[in-house]
Amino acid sequence: MDLKSERSTVLVITDDASYAVTSLNIIWDSENEDSKRFDPLIIMQASSLARLPLDSSYVNLVIYIARSAEFPVDELYAEIFRVLVPGGMLVVYGSSKSGTNEVMSAIERRLLLAGFSDGNHFLLNSVAQCFGVKAKKPSWKIGSSFAIKKKTVKNPLKIEMDDDTDLIDEDSLLTEEDLKKPQLPLVGDCEVGTTRKACKNCTCGRAEQEEKVQKLELTMDQLNNPQSACGNCGLGDAFRCSTCPYKGLPPFKLGEKVSLSGNFLTADI
Amino acid sequence: MEMKSKQLLILYATQTGNALDVAERVAREADRRACRVLIRSIDEYDASSLPAVDTVIFVVSTTGQGDTPDSMKGFWRFLLQRNLGNHWLEGVHYAVFGLGDSGYQKYNFVAKKLDKRLSDLGATAVIERGLGDDQHPSGYEAALDPWMSSLWSGLNEIKPDFFPEGPDFLVPIEELIGQPKFQVTYHNIDNMDSQLSTTTDFKYLQMQIGRARSMSSGKVPHEKSKPDAFLKMVKNLPLTKASHEKDVRHFEFEFVSQVIQYEVGDILEVLPSQNSAAVDSFIQRCNLDPESFITVHPREMENHLLDNSLTALDVPIKLRTFVELTMDVASASPRRYFFEVMSFFATAEHEKERLQYFASPEGRDDLYQYNQKERRTVLEVLEDFPSVQMPFEWLVQLVPPLKNRAFSISSSPLAHPNQVHLTVDVVSWTTPFKRKRWGLCSTWLASLVPEERIYIPVWFHKGLLPPPPPSLPLVLIGPGTGCAPFRGFVEERAVQSQSSTVAPTLFFFGCRNKHNDFLYNDLWLSHSQNDGVLSEAKGGGFYTAFSRDQPQKVYVQHKMQEQSQRIWNLLGEGAAIYVAGSSTKMPSDVMVALEEIISKESGAPRESATRWLRSLEKAGKYHVEAWS
Repeated sequence: MDLKSERSTVLVITDDASYAVTSLNIIWDSENEDSKRFDPLIIMQASSLARLPLDSSYVNLVIYIARSAEFPVDELYAEIFRVLVPGGMLVVYGSSKSGTNEVMSAIERRLLLAGFSDGNHFLLNSVAQCFGVKAKKPSWKIGSSFAIKKKTVKNPLKIEMDDDTDLIDEDSLLTEEDLKKPQLPLVGDCEVGTTRKACKNCTCGRAEQEEKVQKLELTMDQLNNPQSACGNCGLGDAFRCSTCPYKGLPPFKLGEKVSLSGNFLTADI
Repeated sequence: MEMKSKQLLILYATQTGNALDVAERVAREADRRACRVLIRSIDEYDASSLPAVDTVIFVVSTTGQGDTPDSMKGFWRFLLQRNLGNHWLEGVHYAVFGLGDSGYQKYNFVAKKLDKRLSDLGATAVIERGLGDDQHPSGYEAALDPWMSSLWSGLNEIKPDFFPEGPDFLVPIEELIGQPKFQVTYHNIDNMDSQLSTTTDFKYLQMQIGRARSMSSGKVPHEKSKPDAFLKMVKNLPLTKASHEKDVRHFEFEFVSQVIQYEVGDILEVLPSQNSAAVDSFIQRCNLDPESFITVHPREMENHLLDNSLTALDVPIKLRTFVELTMDVASASPRRYFFEVMSFFATAEHEKERLQYFASPEGRDDLYQYNQKERRTVLEVLEDFPSVQMPFEWLVQLVPPLKNRAFSISSSPLAHPNQVHLTVDVVSWTTPFKRKRWGLCSTWLASLVPEERIYIPVWFHKGLLPPPPPSLPLVLIGPGTGCAPFRGFVEERAVQSQSSTVAPTLFFFGCRNKHNDFLYNDLWLSHSQNDGVLSEAKGGGFYTAFSRDQPQKVYVQHKMQEQSQRIWNLLGEGAAIYVAGSSTKMPSDVMVALEEIISKESGAPRESATRWLRSLEKAGKYHVEAWS
């Protein structure tokens, strides 16, 4: 995009209006651009906007001037991306007292993740601690590339695909072992330890025991006047043993009626 | 001058917060051993700096389809570059811990590939990779405990400099609590919110939700805090016959705020409302003042980069609103660390003991039984340990964040302008202790009545099913609620066919019983007759598998086998394959069926068929959206 030869639509976004006017002049001077050629649209307080009030693919150049250390949030990048024409450019100007390289790289990375390409960064000669990060909106339309350009041959086994030769094939990193259907983990041994459960393939009868216990219906008497030999039943599931008849119920006080589950997710359907 | 001891780098790639949880635990354990640590999300780290690192620990999750988390895509692409050679990481030591689910074919693929690639690039492994498995009775913690043990001893052996206090130095866990990640500031404001509290002011609602969610601990860096739009429900219809088995609903919504232009196949994210009484209960239990105004900021620490976008938010929010919008008090279960921190704040001895036990490796399995398997909520846990009084900062950090729920949109904007439709399974289940649980979001949506005009905050984003152009032949496989995005596809094609020719569409649907859960049966049938887009007359087809209507099980893959020739012909015309649904097995069963079909119809051996399907995937013509 040759900005010097034709009028282009420029959008300037900033979070500080007064700062922007002075900065724009400095920036355009330093970039040797004739500020009279451009008649930019200026949007201020962009950080509070969810959407930019522009059509998609409308703007050739977007300049974001960040007053403070806050840089555009990702939803704003997405909006900028939308309003840019394919091939259009975004430049983010900012200043930072330290770690400039890190800050520039971080912005560049976020731009790449937002879909921009050809990111690079530079320092401004004329203004101390001021830098810029540039990136382009790719000029091919996204999402249309999966209709294949060539007519397929009748034998579909020959298929055209993009050969990404500069990246290795990641599937080659897996071994035969890795590709086999994974073994589901063996459930622990039958040893009765501190854990409560019987194993899936229980042969010692513990599973039967557990099942019997679960089928124990609590009697009304137990609900109205709960007693506990161990003293733990009333404390709640966190303290109950695996065979506790009150398992699953909320905590209660001995001798007081047990309230049945007061689960706030009871559906009102 | 004291020489600063070496710093261990921990990089994590998290999708749902598990890998972050593990990374933070490794960091805490390092801290206990006086080992200095720097912890970063992998997308905040410049891969080109790796060769200069002494020792790096990777904690990486694998998503259901075997992919890297979003935050790792750039980094991984960088590592795959051929021209890095095999000496690029010489001198760098590393260890990998992966989080995955062995119920999926591509179990922990990300960790496995990363481990191999790092080694191929010349780096040296300190210990063997650890693989956490959701299928294990006590989840990923089971693999983490022994792996971490080996890590410390392995690291001590080759790099004792990391442990300036010596190999046996260990701060007892009871003494180490550190500072919470967040700080909460209380503000003195009189009636700030009241003048703007009209609920029809969407700008205000949007700002409020945006503010709360960006302050929340659950914020994922690339997620938008402010909702894209607000919807109101206009229809709430059951799609299944009334029974205790299944309750699937058809919801229709209209935009009440600005209209968002979406496409078929897109995802709608919904912020669910929490039960008001539950929120009140939580606030009361934790001795909080619901009416106070607060701001929440990360506490500045070396290990947590200050999120730039947060510093702009100085507008206070009501505590109750913050809890309501960001802290899941009555649905999600807390993690192990919640119990560990609770133990510090328990004043009753038996509670303290029990909590410490739950947080220890010995108590891990029992914790899993009590907490994860029972889907114990924060409110329930606090009720079971009444002596615990946790400061609000810790609650903000450790109460599970209220998460948006994502749904595949089931409408086409061409067919239904200004509307969004969803097909939602209202989930409920019984826990091992026989407690009934319901899905938070699906239950809330199902309870909404159009007349109530409740406003629903939503976000739109692309899913894994790109909208097909009208000229692309399609093979669609969507059993159960998997049919949702394809309802949009079919409706859109029907509209497009009125003005131009559209390519044929084959659709395979499956459910349990023709008369119980045959979702949208009238719709599919109408499009498969009278030269509709699914009609055989137009080169398409609609085939159904009712798994429980006969003694033997019949699934979509069986129906696909019956139509193998049709599928093969369509593939020959350049068709794309789309698979959607809620099952761990279905996508791989479908893939196996396709391999068989291709092999049978082309005469080529199975291996060729498998390779061909993989290249179809790489060419962007095989899409799977599977949810659990």
